[in-house]
Amino acid sequence: MAAPLTLLLIVAVTVRAALFRSTLAHLIAERVEVVSPLTAWKRVVEGLALLDLGVSPYAGDVFHETPLIIYLFHFLVDYAEITFMVADGISAVALYYAVQDYNKQVFRKQKYALEAERYPADCHELVRSPAEMHYIPLKVAMFYLLNPFTVLSCVAKSTCGLNNAVVSLFVLATVKGNALLSAIFLALATYQSIYPLTLCAAALLYLMQRQFIPVNARRLSFWWFVAQYAFMYLGSLFVTVGLSFFLLGSWDFLPSVYGFILSVPDLTPNIGLFWYFFAEMFEHFRLFFLCVFQINVFIYTIPLSIKLKDHPVFLIFMQLAIISIFKSYPTVGDMALYMAFLPVWSHLTRFLRNVFLVSCVLLACSALFPVLWHLWIYAGSANSNFYYATTLLFNVSQILLVSDYFYAFLRREHHLTHGLYLKKKDGSEATLVLK
Amino acid sequence: MKIPTLTILLSSLFSADGIHVQDTAGQFFSSGHTNNWVVLVCTSRFWFNYRHVANTLSVYRSVKRLGIPDSHIVLMLADDMACSHRNPKPATVFSHKNMELNVYGDDVEVDYRGYEVTVENYLRVLTGRLPASTPRSKRLLSDDRSNILIYLTGHGGNGFLKFQDSEEISNVELADAFEQMWQKRRYNELLFIIDTCQGASMYERFYSPNIIAIASSQVGEDSLSHQPDSAIGVHLMDRFTFYLLGFLEDIHPASKTNMNDMFKVCPKSQCVSTVGHRTDLFLRDPGSVLITDFFGSVRKVEITMETINLTEPITLVEDNSNNGELQKASLSYVDQLPVSEIIHQKPKQKDWHPPDGFILGLWTLILLVFFKTYGMKHLKHIF
Repeated sequence: MAAPLTLLLIVAVTVRAALFRSTLAHLIAERVEVVSPLTAWKRVVEGLALLDLGVSPYAGDVFHETPLIIYLFHFLVDYAEITFMVADGISAVALYYAVQDYNKQVFRKQKYALEAERYPADCHELVRSPAEMHYIPLKVAMFYLLNPFTVLSCVAKSTCGLNNAVVSLFVLATVKGNALLSAIFLALATYQSIYPLTLCAAALLYLMQRQFIPVNARRLSFWWFVAQYAFMYLGSLFVTVGLSFFLLGSWDFLPSVYGFILSVPDLTPNIGLFWYFFAEMFEHFRLFFLCVFQINVFIYTIPLSIKLKDHPVFLIFMQLAIISIFKSYPTVGDMALYMAFLPVWSHLTRFLRNVFLVSCVLLACSALFPVLWHLWIYAGSANSNFYYATTLLFNVSQILLVSDYFYAFLRREHHLTHGLYLKKKDGSEATLVLK
Repeated sequence: MKIPTLTILLSSLFSADGIHVQDTAGQFFSSGHTNNWVVLVCTSRFWFNYRHVANTLSVYRSVKRLGIPDSHIVLMLADDMACSHRNPKPATVFSHKNMELNVYGDDVEVDYRGYEVTVENYLRVLTGRLPASTPRSKRLLSDDRSNILIYLTGHGGNGFLKFQDSEEISNVELADAFEQMWQKRRYNELLFIIDTCQGASMYERFYSPNIIAIASSQVGEDSLSHQPDSAIGVHLMDRFTFYLLGFLEDIHPASKTNMNDMFKVCPKSQCVSTVGHRTDLFLRDPGSVLITDFFGSVRKVEITMETINLTEPITLVEDNSNNGELQKASLSYVDQLPVSEIIHQKPKQKDWHPPDGFILGLWTLILLVFFKTYGMKHLKHIF
């Protein structure tokens, strides 16, 4: 599979290089859907320029990325385009190998289950074969690299691409079973934007499953593993934060980066849910709603990890989706990461119910975003409500996508334990509902 | 005997006549107004608001006909209906259907047109706080002997009037503007007429003296339009102003019609909405106020052969301004632009480098992780 992957990488690099050379690059770099105040390339350049002038890059409300990004781009600012293309390539290759390994695990577990005859008799059409699973890693890499959202994000040189690379490496490390690397990459991802913290639970579940530690809160081995992982994770996080302090010699990156992400002072419109609410909020209630909105990102971790404790990779997918919908400054690059996972669940298509609706709404909203932005800002005949309505629709359709996949996944698991053709007690055909 | 009585009678007659002229002369300078000003505002734009422009122009026409010159009229029209591309009869604005009366005429002088009609400009005109570059035609140069007629029309609501479909003026702002005018002695008496929906809400908040206010509808009521013309395609006038125009057409400069007659214009049977008025702030009895006190520019002229002694001597106001030298404070700009540094441009004198300790620490950590992951056996190949 190396040859198709290489071909895919060449095609992806060509597409991005072509767009970099065209006039669209400058246009795309300014679109609010693609860059946010956290990830804009313009701000990185500004921060580096401030540093060259002897001023802290965090003075003023310009630069909100972490100091390690300063270090990275201090040497690579002239090769920025190549850096972002390499980051996309790393993400794609990491996801490729991760999904390949995951598929092997899935197939092995299925083989054991079939030998133990744990599946009901009429489920043979739900059983997956290696033939159908052969091209999934390539499809995952393709979905990531050739996704228009990823291409836009790369051409805009948004640091979201770097975040995606770190998260992909985290997924690879987790799937391969390497707890140390998984903790380190997760710490780096959390260091850059706080929200990947929720992926801790999924990583813990997967690693414990792989090392055959039972996920039981009463067992000592469970807590010992959690303690080890937490130690590695927190240790690498502290080391990274300490290194950042030594880079610039001051702690003022903490309020500028983490304070900015958590307190959402910048209300530039984006594809997220925060800006409109906070633009019209009274100061008295601001803290309350800030807490509510931020808790909303983290609150789904525990229930989902309880429900999906046997399927941690699906949990990773759902967590990534929830992060990219509910985070404070989302961009389309965040979306592209979880959309890359969709081919892994291609066996669920027979249970998906809202494919047409979701795809239509996503396409329509993607087309409407620039139109309504133009009408609002340039033509003056629309207003922020139009743009926010599109944002709402976009996020609702993403939520519908994720919940649809959740339903399909759980339904398949249910069928695998209870049989494909379900009957109610009186013998008529039953329907499954997600409650 | 007869001659002295005759002379006494004649002298008493003359003296009585002299006293009478003296009194009228006294009244002449102590009563009422000496000049008239008019501010007419139409606040709506777009073709379907034709009637608001027609309203304003019909009042304009009436006041011009009754003698107020253009120099004393501030006419603010938010849109140009006469030359609108949708007007089937260009250069005309009709007030009656079948094109009976063209209120646009040949000699309209619009002072604030189109997008210049904003709440800010309107309040600046009223209070006189205009930039020094504003021409005379755009100023309300009234004094404490001016009677001012203010006419507003457009779309309104409870407590506000909409300007240009994008901003509003509230009744509180308007009341405060009038109070500013009163404190700056910019009017003697003010007649405020408003023809909008819920127009009475706009005069509820007035608190300055000498204001009469008339509105075409009460709070909670809509002012309705009068008749559409099928050739023009829009409603031509609002009911209240239509009947007001009809009422004013009967006024001539010498007529003695008073305010009480104006309050009876457009009863509920004709206007559908209830016309409201407010006279509690007005010091005189409205029955003694002539229509021409506000709508016309009637000069008070008394021809007399007598000499009149003006009892108060005219004192020259002394110029208090300091005739001393202008204080020339030497001004200098703060050196904001370090020109010398830019001219002698040194290429990035302080190039920032990450500290050495940082680089060392970072790469050590990376190497440690690498070796931990891939096993210590690689170490022996390096060392």
